[in-house]
Amino acid sequence: MSVWVTLHPLSPGAVTIERLFVGTVVVLSVLFALVVALGVYAIIKYRDRPGAAEPAQEFGSRRLEIGWTAGAIVVVAALMVFTASATIAVNPPADANKPDLRIVGHQWWWEIDYPDSGVMTANEVHIPAGKRLLVDVEAADVIHDFWVPELGRKIDAIPQHPNWIYLQADRPGTYLGTCAEFCGPEHAWMRIMVVAQDQADFDSWQTAQRAVPPAPGSGLAAAGAQLFREQTCINCHAIAGTGSTAKVGPDLTHISTRQTLASGAAINSADELFKWLKDPDSIKPQSHMPNFQLSNEQVTELVAYLEALK
Amino acid sequence: MSKSKLGVSLFILSEANFFALLIVAYIFFHAYPGEGPTAATALNVGRTTIFSILLFASSGTAMLAARGYRAGNRSALLRWLVVTIALGAVFLIGQAREYVGLYESGVVLNRNLFATTFFTLTGFHGLHVFIGLCALTIVAGLTAAGNMGAAGPQGEAFESVELYWHFVDAVWVVVFSVVYLWTLF
Amino acid sequence: MSTAVGSLTIPRPHAERTGLLVWVASVDHKQIGIMYMLAALVFFSLGGIEALLMRIQLAVPNNHFLNPDTFNQLFTVHGTTMIFFVAMPMLAGMTAYMVPLMIGAKDVAFPRLNALSFWVMLFGGILFYLSFFTGGASNAGWFAYTPLSEPGFSSTNGVTYWICGLLAAGVGTVTGAINMIVTIIKLRAPGMTIRRVPLFIWMTLVNSFLMLAALSVLNAALVMLLIDRQFNAQVFAPAFGGSAMLWQHYFWGFGHPEVYIVILPSFGMISEVIPVFARKPIYGYEFVAGSTVAIAFLSFGVWAHHMFTVGMGTVLDLFFGAMSMTIAVPTGVKIFNWTATLFHARIRFTTAMLFAIGFILTFTMGGLTGITFAVVPIDYQLTDTYYLVAHFHYTLFGGTVLAIFAGFYYWFPKISGRMLSERIGRWHFWLTLIGFHTTFLVQHFLGLMGMPRRVFTYPDLPGWGLLNMISTIGAFILLASVVALVLNLYVSLTAGEAAGDNPWDAWTLEWATTSPPPPENFTRVPPVHGRRPLWDLAHPELNDERVAAAAEA
Repeated sequence: MSVWVTLHPLSPGAVTIERLFVGTVVVLSVLFALVVALGVYAIIKYRDRPGAAEPAQEFGSRRLEIGWTAGAIVVVAALMVFTASATIAVNPPADANKPDLRIVGHQWWWEIDYPDSGVMTANEVHIPAGKRLLVDVEAADVIHDFWVPELGRKIDAIPQHPNWIYLQADRPGTYLGTCAEFCGPEHAWMRIMVVAQDQADFDSWQTAQRAVPPAPGSGLAAAGAQLFREQTCINCHAIAGTGSTAKVGPDLTHISTRQTLASGAAINSADELFKWLKDPDSIKPQSHMPNFQLSNEQVTELVAYLEALK
Repeated sequence: MSKSKLGVSLFILSEANFFALLIVAYIFFHAYPGEGPTAATALNVGRTTIFSILLFASSGTAMLAARGYRAGNRSALLRWLVVTIALGAVFLIGQAREYVGLYESGVVLNRNLFATTFFTLTGFHGLHVFIGLCALTIVAGLTAAGNMGAAGPQGEAFESVELYWHFVDAVWVVVFSVVYLWTLF
Repeated sequence: MSTAVGSLTIPRPHAERTGLLVWVASVDHKQIGIMYMLAALVFFSLGGIEALLMRIQLAVPNNHFLNPDTFNQLFTVHGTTMIFFVAMPMLAGMTAYMVPLMIGAKDVAFPRLNALSFWVMLFGGILFYLSFFTGGASNAGWFAYTPLSEPGFSSTNGVTYWICGLLAAGVGTVTGAINMIVTIIKLRAPGMTIRRVPLFIWMTLVNSFLMLAALSVLNAALVMLLIDRQFNAQVFAPAFGGSAMLWQHYFWGFGHPEVYIVILPSFGMISEVIPVFARKPIYGYEFVAGSTVAIAFLSFGVWAHHMFTVGMGTVLDLFFGAMSMTIAVPTGVKIFNWTATLFHARIRFTTAMLFAIGFILTFTMGGLTGITFAVVPIDYQLTDTYYLVAHFHYTLFGGTVLAIFAGFYYWFPKISGRMLSERIGRWHFWLTLIGFHTTFLVQHFLGLMGMPRRVFTYPDLPGWGLLNMISTIGAFILLASVVALVLNLYVSLTAGEAAGDNPWDAWTLEWATTSPPPPENFTRVPPVHGRRPLWDLAHPELNDERVAAAAEA
């Protein structure tokens, strides 16, 4: 995986932008080199030496100045042409209206809905590789921004103002992104993971996500399921089968299938989940997840319950 | 143009821009009304028209005062200044009573976006009228004390205040049209 | 005993009334100018400390030096301070001090208004900083996007203090602008037509109109946000029918002209410094002056280039992109003019000139990254990343701050009567240049690597830690540069060489009086027959206008 993610495009939109960027940088670098060369030449050649005469008092040359202004206009006009064609190429048409995917930014997690299949998940966006998806990006509270550099442009998520982008990954893989509009204390940890899969794998993922996990029969997991209700977790988090459709926090129906916790703030392991439930601030300080002052025992039970949610 | 008049003109340019932006906000939300009171349902256009006419008349009386000032006629200057102030004061009283009426019928500042933009726009205008009245009163006081001459600082002060007063009226022409007269269409 | 200034008579202070009271009660533009500059220096130190604290937190990944809310307050206060309480007051101070001198006047048109402008700005700054002691400063960013800055999402009064501090400071800016316009239009020395004014004056004149137009937009936005916050209105609250986008349009309708407001006077100072130390006039005065007017008009047509990612639609995105490209032209050609002035010159590398050359290099880089942002799809990728942070520091620090240092080294002798040490000045310059580029050059790469801005920490992704550490080291080099500056000030004020009237053999009117000037500025204003009155006095047969007319014939 390249570190230069904005220059490592893995989607048609990102390729368009990367080519435009490289071209623009080349043109501007030439201009810059010219100015620097002229400047360096001048400060060396025309530096004061002892005994030097008063220089000729020249005031300018209308012709030269008009010339370089015209030159600047030409460069700028050319850039504008390329800008226009690339902008039109990467954006969906103004009347886009049937989303393949709906992404809603919350403080500080991402809600992901699949209108066709009814799947609802959080933070980890699964998409079929090679397909161009129309995405409706919204926000539930403040302005956020959805940005996965290798896959293309960023787009603001603004409350009451749905925005539309294309999302496409050329090949299967995991693509990292981040919220890119300051949205409060945990803006830094509102990360994004896009998992692109072969169509077959994506379909089986979707099927699994649609399944309602069975209620745990006995043992720690069952105790955890009960705690989930009693400790009011159910008021913020939805889990299919429990009757909760709350959207204050992420949907946890299949939480143990995800690679990270707390939208990228920690990897999804039993240890990290324990830490999170015991003291959310230790992983994501000032997030909206309250510290319920649970005992280690209670946390163990909840972890067992959540780990079973595949 | 004297320094003071130039200065006040520049101030007026800046304030005109400020009002323009408040008007833009009003018009923007006029297009997205939502629920609750609107200009058409909440405002009494007829009554405000009367008060507006009085305010516009005060520009006329201010011009009469200017004529007296240029002719060196101190009593005319003073007389028309007082009338101008009185007309402006009546306008403000009318606006205050309008506000009270609106508040009593539940149209408060944060009732809905019409209410907020209405009170913000007309409120800032009223504030500017009030400041103008203060300035006019000072000028009237200086006149009564025999301190208004055609040349020198005091002269510049009078011209500047008169210009400001016309500006305040001009703003009301626009605000009155956009907020009140627009309800008739 | 009193001295007449314009139509106002200022009582001379009695012998016993010395010290602080004289300054507090002063309506002399020179004292007001100095107070502005001192206040700006104090706020610069505060803003710098805020930056250092942030850079310490960001030096390594997953750092816990600062908690998120503290960090968010710091970047909000840092940005607000540097723009409203450093750049603007510093430029206002240099303007207040120099404008009357450069046009041959005794003071500004409205000396008492001038004092008001200063005190109300200072009041605004103090009010803003008070918020640290009343529950927390604003933590919503210097542009306070809604709904984040609305009551539902802010738990302290910080944003309200921010609003009130800016409203107060804004009064100072607008009154200052009015004062400068009237001064320049009405108080020029006889013979100084508008086409003969020094470029710093011309830039100040145009800039003042920009201030009048832009601050009124900010005021409208601020009062409506204040009403939202204090009276629970919903103008900018989308959940209740308001519009978050409207706030952005209003804020950037101010915010974009604002960046020109802090760069035009800088252009003016560079246009004064370079000719003097190149020993020849500015190349293309008319183009430099004319392009400034073009920038002023165009600056009101580009604001939404700060909003390319909000979803305004392709048509609007392209319109603002085209306008932003267009404004690059009048800005860019000035760079050619300054560079051309260096040709066939006799360049003296005083510290002022070093900073001016540093400015050309650094500001050009910032301007070029700005052009990359005008290419809309590039903005789609790189806005709100560290590439953007690099861009605006290159233009604001590399532009405004370096130009201020150039102007400062140029005019300090006139203001204080003493020369600044060139030796320490060189240290100051090189530490600044190296420190600045170390801090901010790598940030372009961080942005290209996907690091967003306004994050209190970041994951340990390859390269992020190293580049952030380099940036933090650069910040400490900048700290050293400020130490050098303060040292230079101290050494020069206490034991600096006497400056004399015209240590640089410059040509504009401020050099035709003592250093520092007497209270009424001039005992005698030289005759003005061209753009360089002192050049004409020394070379009567080589008057610029006569020479230019002969060349054309």
